[in-house]
Amino acid sequence: MKAVIGLEVHVQLETESKLFCGCSTDSEGAEPNGNTCPICLGFPGAKPKVNRRAVEHAVKIARALDCEVQPRFYFSRKSYFYPDMPKNFQITQYEMPLALGGHLLLDDRRIGITRVHMEEDPARLVHVGGSISSSLYTLIDHNRSGVPLVEIVTEPDLTSSREARLFLRKLSLILEHLGAYDPGREGGLRVDANVSLEGGQRVEVKNITGFRAVEDALNYEIIRQESMADMGISVMRETRHYDAESNTTSTLRLKEQEEDYGYITEPDLVRIDVDEAWIARLESEMPELPDARIQRYVEESGVPRFQAGIMVNTGLDLSRFFEESIRLFPRPGVVANWIVTFLLKSLNYEGLSLRESKVNPETFVELLALIEEGTITERLARELIKEYVGTGESPRALVERRGLASAGRDELGEAIGEVLSDNRKAVADYRAGQTRALDYLLGQVLRRIRARGDPVEVKRLIREALDSE
Amino acid sequence: MSDHWTIDRGLVERIAKVARLELTEDEIEKFTKQLKVILEAFRELDDVDTEGVEPSFHPQELSNVLREDEATPWSWDPLENTEHREGRYFKGPRIQ
Amino acid sequence: MTGVIDRARELDEEYGIFNALAESDDSMGGGRLEGVAVSVKDNVCVMGMETRAGSRVLEGYRPPFDATVVKKCRGEGALILGKTTQDEFGFGTFNVNTPFKVPVNPHDRERSAGGSSGGAACLTSVADFPHLALAESTGGSISCPASFCGVVGLTPTYGRTSRWGLVDYANSLDKIGVMGKTVADAALLLSVISGPDEYDSTVSQAPPEDFTGYLGNGVEGLRVGVPREYFGEGVDPGVSEAVWGAVKGLEALGATVKELSLPHTGVSLASYYIIAMAEASTNLAKFSGLRYGLHLPLEGAFDEYFSRVRARGFSEEAKRRIILGTFTRMAGYRDAYYMKALRVRTRVIEDFKRAFAEVDILAAPTMPVVAPRFDEISAMEPIQHYMMDVLTVAPNLAGIPMISTPCGRVDGMPVGLHLMADHMEEGKLIRATHALEVSA
Repeated sequence: MKAVIGLEVHVQLETESKLFCGCSTDSEGAEPNGNTCPICLGFPGAKPKVNRRAVEHAVKIARALDCEVQPRFYFSRKSYFYPDMPKNFQITQYEMPLALGGHLLLDDRRIGITRVHMEEDPARLVHVGGSISSSLYTLIDHNRSGVPLVEIVTEPDLTSSREARLFLRKLSLILEHLGAYDPGREGGLRVDANVSLEGGQRVEVKNITGFRAVEDALNYEIIRQESMADMGISVMRETRHYDAESNTTSTLRLKEQEEDYGYITEPDLVRIDVDEAWIARLESEMPELPDARIQRYVEESGVPRFQAGIMVNTGLDLSRFFEESIRLFPRPGVVANWIVTFLLKSLNYEGLSLRESKVNPETFVELLALIEEGTITERLARELIKEYVGTGESPRALVERRGLASAGRDELGEAIGEVLSDNRKAVADYRAGQTRALDYLLGQVLRRIRARGDPVEVKRLIREALDSE
Repeated sequence: MSDHWTIDRGLVERIAKVARLELTEDEIEKFTKQLKVILEAFRELDDVDTEGVEPSFHPQELSNVLREDEATPWSWDPLENTEHREGRYFKGPRIQ
Repeated sequence: MTGVIDRARELDEEYGIFNALAESDDSMGGGRLEGVAVSVKDNVCVMGMETRAGSRVLEGYRPPFDATVVKKCRGEGALILGKTTQDEFGFGTFNVNTPFKVPVNPHDRERSAGGSSGGAACLTSVADFPHLALAESTGGSISCPASFCGVVGLTPTYGRTSRWGLVDYANSLDKIGVMGKTVADAALLLSVISGPDEYDSTVSQAPPEDFTGYLGNGVEGLRVGVPREYFGEGVDPGVSEAVWGAVKGLEALGATVKELSLPHTGVSLASYYIIAMAEASTNLAKFSGLRYGLHLPLEGAFDEYFSRVRARGFSEEAKRRIILGTFTRMAGYRDAYYMKALRVRTRVIEDFKRAFAEVDILAAPTMPVVAPRFDEISAMEPIQHYMMDVLTVAPNLAGIPMISTPCGRVDGMPVGLHLMADHMEEGKLIRATHALEVSA
């Protein structure tokens, strides 16, 4: 049975202040409720006012997803009671949202985007003395209340949990390129997923944070629905809650228990008109998006498409790393190859992201320069990059400190002379046509120079010395 | 307006639940009766032809009133008006 | 302003005017309102002064900020005197829908002062010290009590004054306005409080005006329209007669008069109540006993706790409007009620726009009757209460400015003349009522 998956993705927009008030969105290290005001706490008499940058981020996101930005849109009140909602309604967008009807390309698959709209985040709840279902009371921190979110709703076009993960990765990459979203922010991307098996009832799984968790939650839910089908039990239309710790979903409420949101147009806010000039200005501010970037690496820098794809898809910071590296060391093919083949592997091995590591383009290209100028061999460089990723120490300094530079011409010549005079039998064997004797001599020379030389080059020099003897 | 609904106790009880309002038996009975009368009177809206008429969310439509994205902290004590607090948190009821 | 607070306390005891009184009679002085005590309807926030909007659910709430209009009055040297009584959240026409004090009519203690800004109108009538009132109208809550108490009540264009700090009833209808003994008083206070405000997205960007500049400009050439629908069934003949008398007075002073029709007057009542209640029911959701106002012991799950607090905190009319308002926006009913009412509102606005293409102002009775007795009021059903607003809701729906000014008496009780003008044309209302006032 085919899975039918649609996602509602909530992403925190990168702004200084909240969606409707001047409170800071940066609450790291702030005391609970330290970033609040009468507006985001919904005190009587306080009124919201829309943050321009949030609107502009949302318009850019809509355009990047090829959505049609509506010439006029409104905010609405979505009413439901919950302790994390200061007003017991959420200001969101309903029948006249910011944008409709776009798509995102996943290779050759076209995933439809139903709509893009803005809304405010609720508070963070701490369930004291147990879980959401067993706590004694809740503690409420409103620092998150009113933080701007954009909600991106897809058509039910996704067919597997893996595809859902790939979709989210690509979406996140686009948002990151736009500067609208910071992938490093904890809980910055939250997903509700609608899942059904072809012909079956739809189940909404709420509260999934992060790509990996989306894949896990969907896997669990698809298998659950499949086994129900196998047992001849029909799936009920319901909303389920995902628990990341146990990696399971459980019933939150059945269809009949759904809230009646009683939407009205938010009467404290006015209409927003987005004219063509405004859209044009925002489009002109939009940076190159991931697909175009890959194309550019291929066309302008001659990087193989698969390597360009890996670099761009890994994240904006890696693309920037590549671009800075080729500025310092203008051989894009070599740089891309070293990034994709060795740097990423070493980072992976150390369990570090680029951002977490001490690696930077200036020191990274030292390694490539050391190879190019013949100071170290490529083989040694492959060893050194592991150490470099671990410590961040400049490769040039490392080579110097540890005396790892390849033996120079004089040292090498001296070593060859000594080896030839100490191993006359091998020299005679070589002359008698035993080629393996040359490998023996090579081994002796390499040992004498502590392997600081390119074996092919050293072999050539030995042959040269033998011939001229 | 359609006739697919009837105003009865069940409806009033359902609305009260949506609105988180505990009603007494007397209130439910009284409101059911009054709602019938009031909503019946409101049906005179049916007589107005509003085909192709835009809704007026405000008396005069304004647009694009926006604020610049600047963090301007509000200096106050958000917990000053509540008894339900613990440390710097508001204290709320449990969920289930 | 030594002694003002003591005097206000005496008047309060006699008439039921205040829900809260200032503790000190200090004011900054040195502005257009120096030496004037400004009273504030209870639903307008005064920093640190208990603000309950006539509701138990806001018991003990001390706002952490001043409403913009209050701040502006302080800036002009006024003494902020106290919070005047009102129907709970503005839900009423007679100021009887409140668990707190019910103001009485200064002309007959057995009668209503009108609502919902009853305390403001009553105080404006009886104050024997320099006083101006900040009042608020959603569907007629300034005009009605001004009419019943025989004072001047000016409701400005929607968006002429900032709503920052107003405890919302229905945000697309609420307007903070003024009351005074004279038109000049009202013009002065409106001049102080109007103008743009960065804290209210719906406020007009028009620069502040000095409305006192319209005083004494006369009515020569002013075109007065008299809408037929405002003199129909249910309007007391004595009231009609008094209002026609005032219209003739305007004509005698140089205005021209013509009759015209506002065909959607009748249906404006349903449109108004549906929109007002839909918005109100969302505004009242925030009152749940956690962050301010009424608190109960935190027992039970949140559904139970919220339901209990709200049952305890709201009185009957608020509960009725929450039920009605929630209904009108529920899935399945929303299009037929909420959305339909918003479209009818467009029709009502079009009526006025058409009329103002022909005339400068409209003249009508403010209320169909003079202030009723409390025993009459208690015999009325909710729908009869609502129908009392039939003459004031249409201009409120359209957000046009209106003024009620005394124009005679019936049974010894004041009658109000209601003048209405197009958006932002308060000046014409001030010209006309002032001309009548000085000619009387």
